Amino acid sequence: MKLLSPRQLPLTIGLFLASLFVLFPIVSATEFSLREPAKNTHGFDNYIWFFTAEDFGKYLGISLGLSVFSAAILLVILVPTVIWLNLGGGRYRGLVEFVSLLPLVIPVVALAIGAQTALPGFAQTNESILGFMFAVLAMPYAYRTLDTGLRAIPLRTIVEAARGLGASWLRTILSVVIPVVRSTVASALFMTLALSLGEFTLTSLLHWDTFTTWVTTMSQSNILGAIALSMFSLIGVFVLLLLISVFIRPTKSNVVAEEN
Amino acid sequence: MTNTEASSLDRKGVPTWGTLTGRLVRVAVALLPLLAFMGIFFFAPLWAVIEASFQDNNGQFTLLNYTDVFKEPIATAMRTSLGLALASAVVSAIPGAVLAFLIESRGGDRLRQIIASISGVLANTGGVPLAFMFVAALGLEGSATGFLKAIGLDIYGTGFSLYTFWGLVLVYAYFQIPLMVIVFSPAIHGLRREWNEAAKTLGASGAQFWRHIGVPLLFPSFLSAFLLLFASAFSAYATARAMTNGTIALLPLMIGNLLDGNVIFDEVNLAKALAVAMVVVTLLAMVPYLIIQRRAQRWQQ
Repeated sequence: MKLLSPRQLPLTIGLFLASLFVLFPIVSATEFSLREPAKNTHGFDNYIWFFTAEDFGKYLGISLGLSVFSAAILLVILVPTVIWLNLGGGRYRGLVEFVSLLPLVIPVVALAIGAQTALPGFAQTNESILGFMFAVLAMPYAYRTLDTGLRAIPLRTIVEAARGLGASWLRTILSVVIPVVRSTVASALFMTLALSLGEFTLTSLLHWDTFTTWVTTMSQSNILGAIALSMFSLIGVFVLLLLISVFIRPTKSNVVAEEN
Repeated sequence: MTNTEASSLDRKGVPTWGTLTGRLVRVAVALLPLLAFMGIFFFAPLWAVIEASFQDNNGQFTLLNYTDVFKEPIATAMRTSLGLALASAVVSAIPGAVLAFLIESRGGDRLRQIIASISGVLANTGGVPLAFMFVAALGLEGSATGFLKAIGLDIYGTGFSLYTFWGLVLVYAYFQIPLMVIVFSPAIHGLRREWNEAAKTLGASGAQFWRHIGVPLLFPSFLSAFLLLFASAFSAYATARAMTNGTIALLPLMIGNLLDGNVIFDEVNLAKALAVAMVVVTLLAMVPYLIIQRRAQRWQQ
């Protein structure tokens, strides 16, 4: 068999071990989350428990809202800038890259402490502060996704062609720029959504409550339920991130790990 | 790096993108929102931490917060955090590099694409759900623990525990190995087949190729990926917090405790000095990472 030929054998073994390592916690946690110790059987009790839990909808709503908020911020302040870099602002690429990638090198814990003291009042009074901070944390990933995606498109040539053929700026943006950048922008925004939904460090250090901190609180009274919740949120985030690879077929992936 | 610099002047030196004022306005409109946003929500908080780390309770200048970094129990937490980051980077970088090498050298395009997608997802799996998943698998009552016990391997009987230093190293490997695959694969991919063929034509053996060409070319990329894993494990907070509940003294957890008011020291600004110490360590790892990555991109195209 080809898979077992002397040349392919190491790859086969490597992939087998890797899949084992990836799958065993998923399979284990799935089994665990289906346990019903009181009845000594398996079933969906833990899932039904959290779906009907009083605060489930509330915290899921908060987290979804904050994620959409942070994605919207990046859509407004990052996306036009990166498009502009590829259209005529190329000489400022270094500056934008530096500013956007910096959050990658600062531990979230350090940023959280500063956010407590230095943020403007309007952002301190409610959870919206988290939306702003999530946008900061997602900035490097969103920037890389946008940058890699947009560089692959000869945007400037396309725009000049459209302009040369007599299209107005508005028309160029609506029927040329937006269609070609759409999938790249969508990937960057999905990335932001996924990162924001799973954010825990900043949220817990700033003493706000979102879905992730609610799961930790729940784990103290109902570990089975918390594990069922974790499986639920992991599946949600997996789906979001896989959607990205549907939008962009990565030859060279441009995602790097979040703070964990 | 390709320079996509705008030809803002045409051949005769005449501005084609409007007047100078017009261009300045355009630059301002394009850059200011981003810079202002990062100024308020990133640079201002960062500056506040640095500034406060040099102040005592009364706002007077002091270096005491920093000398406390070298006192117990903080010194231990610092050592443990550095040790964890190092162990995690070693344990994950090596299998990650081997896997990347096998996939790039022996796998087809389709396999490479699938692996890239899956790695992208796994590298971003972290935090609380990851911790709970491992508790369900390898905790005292975990499924995998039970399964191994049933086939005669009682891991907790042999002294293993998930809630220890090495337990964390294992859990971190779940996102660190895929991260290594992502960061290191382009380097192997960029190692062109023609170079190998050229070396062979000139009479080099396989070992000679690797010794003089392959390894020297790949080593900087390996080192930079290693530094990234180091920094990522060093600053990780959520997984450790959810899994160990503070049973292991790690620097990020200690900062969290200080913020929660479980103060063991007098200085309110101690947490800030610890945060600055973390920033310094992370910078020491991440700056070379970013520099090497940029340089390597030149021949990986």
